[in-house]
Amino acid sequence: MEITVSRQELLKELTATQGVVERKTTIPILSNFLLEAEGERLSLTATDLDQAIRTSAPVKVKKAGACTIPARRMYDYVKLLPEGEISIKLLDNHWVQIKSGRSTTKIVGMARANYPQVPEFPSVDAIKISAAALKTLIARTIFAISNEETRYTLNGALLVIKAESLAMVATDGHRLSFVEKVNEEIAGVSGEKRVLVPRKALDELRQLLAATAEATIDFADDEHTLYFRVGHRALSSRKLNGNFPNYEAVMPRDNTKFVIVSAAELGQAIQRVAQFADERSGAVRMKIEQNELKISSSSTEAGESEDTIDTPYTGDALTVGFNSGYMLDFLKALNNEGEVRLEFKDQQSAGQMRPEDPDAEYRYRYVLMPMRI
Amino acid sequence: MGRIRILNDQVANQIAAGEVVDRPASVVKELLENSLDAGANRIRIEVEGGGRKLIRITDDGCGMNKDDALLAFERHATSKLRTADDLLNIATLGFRGEALPSIASVARVTLETAEPGSKAGTRIEIAGGKILHVDEIAAPAGTTIAVSDLFFNTPARRKFLRAESTELAHLTALVTHYALAHPEKHFELLSASHTLLSAPPVKKNDERIFQILGRDTHSQLLPVAAEMQLARAGLPEPPPWKRDPDVPAPVPGQLRLNGFFSKPELQKLNRNSIYIFVNKRLIRDRALLHAISEAYRNVIPPTSFPVVTLYLEMPPEEVDVNVHPAKTEVRFRQQQAVHDFVRDSLRTALVKARPAADFLSALDSAPTASPSLLPPAASHLPGLPESEPVRPDGAERFEGASQGTGNAARLPFSGPQHAVWNPSGLDSVPEFLVRASALFTQPLQPAAIQDSGQPSQDCSDDPFAAPPFSAGVQSPAPNLNALASLKPLGQLRESFILAVNEDGLWIIDQHVAHERVLFEKILRDRKVEQVERQRLLMPLLVELKPAQMVLFAQIADELEENGFEVEPFGPQTLAVKAAPVGLEGKQLERMLTQVIEQAGEDEARFGQREDMGTLRGRIAASIACHAAIKVNMPLDLKRMEWLLAELATTEHPTNCPHGRPIALNYSWKDIQKAFQRI
Ligand SMILES: Nc1ncnc2c1ncn2[C@@H]1O[C@H](COP(=O)(O)OP(=O)(O)O)[C@@H](O)[C@H]1O
Ligand SMILES: [Mg+2]
Ligand SMILES: [Zn+2]
Repeated sequence: MEITVSRQELLKELTATQGVVERKTTIPILSNFLLEAEGERLSLTATDLDQAIRTSAPVKVKKAGACTIPARRMYDYVKLLPEGEISIKLLDNHWVQIKSGRSTTKIVGMARANYPQVPEFPSVDAIKISAAALKTLIARTIFAISNEETRYTLNGALLVIKAESLAMVATDGHRLSFVEKVNEEIAGVSGEKRVLVPRKALDELRQLLAATAEATIDFADDEHTLYFRVGHRALSSRKLNGNFPNYEAVMPRDNTKFVIVSAAELGQAIQRVAQFADERSGAVRMKIEQNELKISSSSTEAGESEDTIDTPYTGDALTVGFNSGYMLDFLKALNNEGEVRLEFKDQQSAGQMRPEDPDAEYRYRYVLMPMRI
Repeated sequence: MGRIRILNDQVANQIAAGEVVDRPASVVKELLENSLDAGANRIRIEVEGGGRKLIRITDDGCGMNKDDALLAFERHATSKLRTADDLLNIATLGFRGEALPSIASVARVTLETAEPGSKAGTRIEIAGGKILHVDEIAAPAGTTIAVSDLFFNTPARRKFLRAESTELAHLTALVTHYALAHPEKHFELLSASHTLLSAPPVKKNDERIFQILGRDTHSQLLPVAAEMQLARAGLPEPPPWKRDPDVPAPVPGQLRLNGFFSKPELQKLNRNSIYIFVNKRLIRDRALLHAISEAYRNVIPPTSFPVVTLYLEMPPEEVDVNVHPAKTEVRFRQQQAVHDFVRDSLRTALVKARPAADFLSALDSAPTASPSLLPPAASHLPGLPESEPVRPDGAERFEGASQGTGNAARLPFSGPQHAVWNPSGLDSVPEFLVRASALFTQPLQPAAIQDSGQPSQDCSDDPFAAPPFSAGVQSPAPNLNALASLKPLGQLRESFILAVNEDGLWIIDQHVAHERVLFEKILRDRKVEQVERQRLLMPLLVELKPAQMVLFAQIADELEENGFEVEPFGPQTLAVKAAPVGLEGKQLERMLTQVIEQAGEDEARFGQREDMGTLRGRIAASIACHAAIKVNMPLDLKRMEWLLAELATTEHPTNCPHGRPIALNYSWKDIQKAFQRI
């Protein structure tokens, strides 16, 4: 293999793919990029066996072929090269030579034959999804995915595709985040399609979406694998199997006590008060009473603190405890902008937060289970 | 003629013998106690055949004249008691006058005795209770009693004797511990071929420990010393109208404790390494064993036991020793006070010492069934229930014995540098004496205890602040008080924190460290009923076996107090609706099943349900274990610093609530040594 490529083009693709490269090198070959040169393009692959990204860049191919190169090393090196043409040449014994201007480097790779087979985007009809909508859905749910590895059905978010809407749900068993984009027109879906997307795939997808100008992306799946094509880059991911909990059932229906406050004001108040909450739980008390929302906390170690926000409310007083971190996550997903509505029923039942925006494009519901403090 | 007859003396004595002597070790115990009561300063014991063939004990005590010597073999003949009132105030080890006649009824006994300054001594030969000869002899002052062919006339008893090596090991353990209790006396124990123990007088208990058990054992033990004024006198005062106005009201006495206890890293599978002396009498007492377990609770695993030797002193009237012929059972007049005193003193000593596990010794300190550090204990003492379940296969309970070669018991505290088990005779004695005296220049000071009975926090006369050795010989052992000064460097395989300070290199197990932090916090929160609970979006279902559902019901209330909201959901399922903070998913499920499963274990093992304190500790430990930082978890430096700082504030930073060590120290000295710099 022998090619020349513009440093800028190459670096863009290296950046897009290096995220999936396995960092813990249990299988050494997975810390390598796979480079394949053919026709006018160089295709670049990285995988950790669960996820794979395949991308390509326009190159001049002197000699077609393939090689693998330690990913981290190549990425760091190319970053430091000046703009210009880079030539990459496979030498004997898996050595790869990288040349640019007066810089020459040889890196030893591994046999291409050992690189795992990466699933190809299927040739079936793909579903076209709005890139902007998917970006928002991910941003508003990904933080609620469970970190507890044993609960693998909660280690991802549920993507629900219907002909007229696109929704995503994530939960860790304590809180649940649900976002829906209605009035979508999605071709090729009859009824409803539900897939569980692992967190790492969502992370990668988010980055691919951030780096694209395309309005839509392609989505497809088969028995084991999910495929997303964002422009010329393709992400494939192992599907999470198993039953995602019945999220509709836990969405509160009769949370009739509510207040509306500014997201920014609420976020700041919670942050202040949470300084004095139990270090582990970050539990704060939300108290609604006569035209006030009071946020308070206390702990034997730190002391106690209270903030009051004025807001119209005339119902019965109620105090409910919540994990402050969970509340802040939601506000952050809204960029601390606009107004939010806090809806309660009683001390034991789930509370709900949602943006107070009558003409929002997205239906966003955030359900939180209370704490007893 | 009626059916009831008065037993002849021989039969009565044999029955008494059943209670007083059941094996060679108990014979030795009685004879040793007699010698000590006789004021002997030097006691030499020779045994053959594990004591079955011969036990000969020679003392330099007060001896007996001919009349007393003959009387000594009569039942209930004693020089130590006159009236029933004397029973309330026993200062001697013997008092029942039963031992000599009992022993003489089941063995062949030769007594040679002479009073100091008398012209002639007396020699008496008895076999199976019958006097064979009484002669006048020339004898040095003191007494020699030879007991041979134990149980020669009671084959049934003889059958119960264990292997010679086992009997010898028991006997050695017993003598060793009496020697530990009387450092100022000279003890020797010899078998036909070996000197098993040779302990010339020393001044301090600590020196004796070193002398007998050697440096290695000594270094794994920590001293404890404390005293406390009792709030009242133990004996109830007579009602006012019966009081004699001339007799002053009894003054409350003092409880005094000293001894040594093992660092948490040293763990034993049974209680056989716990020795308790009350007023120099070796005893077994459930309450005190309990106090010791309490002191170590959540420091070592509940299934492990420490090595502890305690010398308790109290006014004789505070303790009733006349409970059983074997005199190993006692009744404290103020049992609770004694119990709490022992527990709190030990606990305080443990907390203060915060011993850091040494890197290398931790490698082989897992609880073992191998030869114990200290000899097997007094569970075999006559007249007491066996403290450990006897193995059904009749296997030897003393593990070391079965490893013995030939006839020689392999003594548990072996090692060429020790005075014990010295096949070549006595020639190593001077050497260890020299060493011992060099090391013990600084006497142990007793711990100050405030009047409230609470161990003192005052550091001015802190017995543990100063190392027991002079600094020139040995630098103080690193302890975990230094935790706060540790600087974390990074992680080893994302599981162990490596940190340094002046003391050297430290390896901290991140999981158990966090576990300890959480454990103490959970217990604190529980105590003030401030447990925070997080409700679950969807109840977590946990499957149980039917028997476990019953156990769950037993502990349901305490679980609730700990932040659980759990309800039965069908006959074999629990629905968890809320859980303590930090417990999720599988961990939550595992924790619950574990706590429920273990709820039945105490009952199965001890026939006794665990008490609230134990249950609380167990639940807290289980929550902590399942909610703590796991191994294989990357931590940034800030998080490590946080963890070490938190750990430093805990009461027991040495061990996790299950007893695993938290921090190991590779001392600066060892590092220098390893690199051959010193
Ligand atoms: N080694 C000894 N030296 C002097 N007197 C002894 C010795 N052993 C036994 N005696 C005397 O024999 C008595 C009987 O001993 P024993 O049967 O053990 O009863 P006790 O010790 O309960 O008095 C003792 O009270 C003591 O006077
Ligand atoms: Mg006696
Ligand atoms: Zn543990």
